[in-house]
Amino acid sequence: MTMTSLKKTSQLQVTVAITKRGLMRMRRLPSLMIPSIIMPIFFVVAFSGSFSSVVELDGYSTDKAVNWMAAWAILQGSAFSGLGGGGLTATDLENGFFDRMRAAPITPSALISGLVGYSVTRAVLPTTAVLIVSFVALDADMPGGLFGFVIAYFTAIGIAAVMSLFVLGIVFTMKTLKSLAIAQVVMFSTMFLSVGQAPLEAIQGWLYHVAKYNPITHVIRMGRQGFLGDVTWAETQPGFISLTLLLIGSGLWARACYQKVDI
Amino acid sequence: MSNPIEAENLTRTFGDLVAVNSINLTVEEGEVFGFLGPNGAGKSTAVRMLTTLLKPTGGSATVAGFDVASEASMVRKKIGVALQDAAIDPLMTGNELLRLQAVLHGISRHGGKERCAELLERVGLTAAGDKRVGTYSGGMRRRLDLALSLVHQPKVLFLDEPTTGLDPTSRVALWEEVRTLNKEIGTTVFLTTQYLEEADQLAQRIAIIDNGRIVREGTPTKLKSDVGAPTLRVDVVESDYEIAKQVMRKLGEERPARKGRIAIGLDGGTRAITAVLKSLEEQNIEVQHVELDEPSLDDVFADATGRRLEGGADT
Amino acid sequence: MVRQPQAWAPTLFFPLLLAAVYAAQFSKAVNLPEFPYPDVTFLDFILPACVIQGVLFGSTNSATDLAGDIENSFMDRLLSSPVSRSSILIARLSSAFIYGLVQATILIIIFFAFGAELSGGASSALALVFLTSFLSMGVGSFLIAIALRTGSQEVVNSLFPIIFVFIFISSAFFPVELMDGWYGQIAEWNPLTWIIDWTRVITIEGFSWDAFLRASGVIFLISLAGIVTSIHQLKRRLAVAS
Repeated sequence: MTMTSLKKTSQLQVTVAITKRGLMRMRRLPSLMIPSIIMPIFFVVAFSGSFSSVVELDGYSTDKAVNWMAAWAILQGSAFSGLGGGGLTATDLENGFFDRMRAAPITPSALISGLVGYSVTRAVLPTTAVLIVSFVALDADMPGGLFGFVIAYFTAIGIAAVMSLFVLGIVFTMKTLKSLAIAQVVMFSTMFLSVGQAPLEAIQGWLYHVAKYNPITHVIRMGRQGFLGDVTWAETQPGFISLTLLLIGSGLWARACYQKVDI
Repeated sequence: MSNPIEAENLTRTFGDLVAVNSINLTVEEGEVFGFLGPNGAGKSTAVRMLTTLLKPTGGSATVAGFDVASEASMVRKKIGVALQDAAIDPLMTGNELLRLQAVLHGISRHGGKERCAELLERVGLTAAGDKRVGTYSGGMRRRLDLALSLVHQPKVLFLDEPTTGLDPTSRVALWEEVRTLNKEIGTTVFLTTQYLEEADQLAQRIAIIDNGRIVREGTPTKLKSDVGAPTLRVDVVESDYEIAKQVMRKLGEERPARKGRIAIGLDGGTRAITAVLKSLEEQNIEVQHVELDEPSLDDVFADATGRRLEGGADT
Repeated sequence: MVRQPQAWAPTLFFPLLLAAVYAAQFSKAVNLPEFPYPDVTFLDFILPACVIQGVLFGSTNSATDLAGDIENSFMDRLLSSPVSRSSILIARLSSAFIYGLVQATILIIIFFAFGAELSGGASSALALVFLTSFLSMGVGSFLIAIALRTGSQEVVNSLFPIIFVFIFISSAFFPVELMDGWYGQIAEWNPLTWIIDWTRVITIEGFSWDAFLRASGVIFLISLAGIVTSIHQLKRRLAVAS
């Protein structure tokens, strides 16, 4: 059909252009970005401070709370960054700019990829900010070395992409800025019901079972491993598989919901 | 070669509401086609279907030879769209928006740069090109919107209420630009408007839409002459109104008029006016005001729908 | 309130989610040496804090409404009517108090349903409801002062994270005794820590006049400061208006 007549190279340029537009807006309207940097910084400070003693319990396998909480704050921050593409789309849908893009010969995938690209690039900022605060002010360790940093960034980007696709689906369906509030509730609930703040060994009751089967649990473990010890394939594999499945699932969800814009 | 726009029984419903009811349209190569109707008549819905932004629920349409439903991306390549309430990102500059639009239409970076400069020049925004759109006036935004819709040299240009909300000077400037485009490049233009004057000034052919249906179609001249005789409007003192109405009804076909005023279609020029005034005088009716109007598009609209269009002639 | 579920639903949802998650995640924390209440569940430990958190998040509502009234100049109409000036303030403060009362009661009932325990029974429950409603009014009075000063809903809403910071850097979710270094030090100085600790004495050890009066005293001082500031800002606004 006609979609195939759209050149692949030009669609890649479309993706890049949409990503760039998001980043440019962010630069010009810093209030879009500041909360998503401040919030994770506060999280790492507050969680490491309030819960400094919990690492004495079994399962934390570190003697400093910051080593546990830094990854949690990074992933919270990148989940929050995932709202970026959805927020931009909701604004565009409300003021009609989205029609301009839809009236152009671009594929939905190029458009969605561009928006995800924006969210993902955003996630680098809070991740870096949390890492700086953790190491400079809170004396964090990274026994996993360079690989530890790489895997932390990789996971942060992965979570931002998954959340971005999930939020886009909701925004495509509801078409309002208000829908972001709903997306946030679901997003943060999913994050909280995991090993974000405490290891599985420390969790009791219903949450133990929820956290155990929550794919985010594996993803957080993957991103956190460098703070606790060496980076290993055994600790990476479940997270990597979960992240891949989450990406496929949220990608299909976003693509399916896009049809609802096209009424 | 098919016509740039053809619609057959094109229909769109939203639940029980029939926004566009089985319209048929043919727009020919190189013409400016005016789509005239009041707010909520179905203009925007029709344009959104023709520009692939909304799927028809019935009937079909082709634009630039491609079906709007099944060949949407081919249509999108061939058309330029300037939508109502110019949807422009206030945080971006005119130049950035043009570049983005160029990329969206698959124009290479190098070609895009030249094209954008040329278009800014064309709509008189070269100096403002690197300023944020948020600082633009209403007229500048519309001109930028027009430039945006031209980036990829479209075969068919859709302008949805391009001058709504503009001051008279900006409006005339935009009309001039559309005329030049149509004359110099031969772009086919599909223009929706709620302004009679705009349709009259720009369009070579007009369709009037009301309640989702096309109620008249043709050249402005033809539509006007079809309405028939000029309109005679007479104001009388209130107490005489009913008698005056009876008298005048006998002399010509009654037409819609504002309260306290009587309007009839009247052939025969000034001599006929004298006859009307004489008849009124015979009944001792005091006449306060008399005017004779050649038919306008407003009369065409009134004739077709029984109502006057907002902003139409004083009736 | 009934007409705007989106205004209060999150203030119920988030405290409950946090309580549920923390109770399950840190259930073993009560076994830590130095934990002040080794014999209670972690849910019982954080219960007063979760109620206070829910109520404080809600306390922005009354001030947001006020800022909204100023924004759409309903306030001007009110001021030009023969309504007494002080009744404007009293109405806002009592609305914050009643809001806290309702919110606290709902939260406590839900916590009971999930197995929380109050050792002092009804007197402890009443004390908890009173203290949290009183605190809601006290914090509300500061927010009202800011609403009067700025007349902007956006500004009032943006104070939400600051409340969050105050709650977090206190003994709300973890005992101060177990916090390290400067962070623990700040938490110790946070008046919210004193209020929460004394409230906790009431909910865990049973009702005590000593703890109740101490907590009430701190809240009274906060309220006094807030109300004085509000009156000052109201007078300022009236002076500008006339």
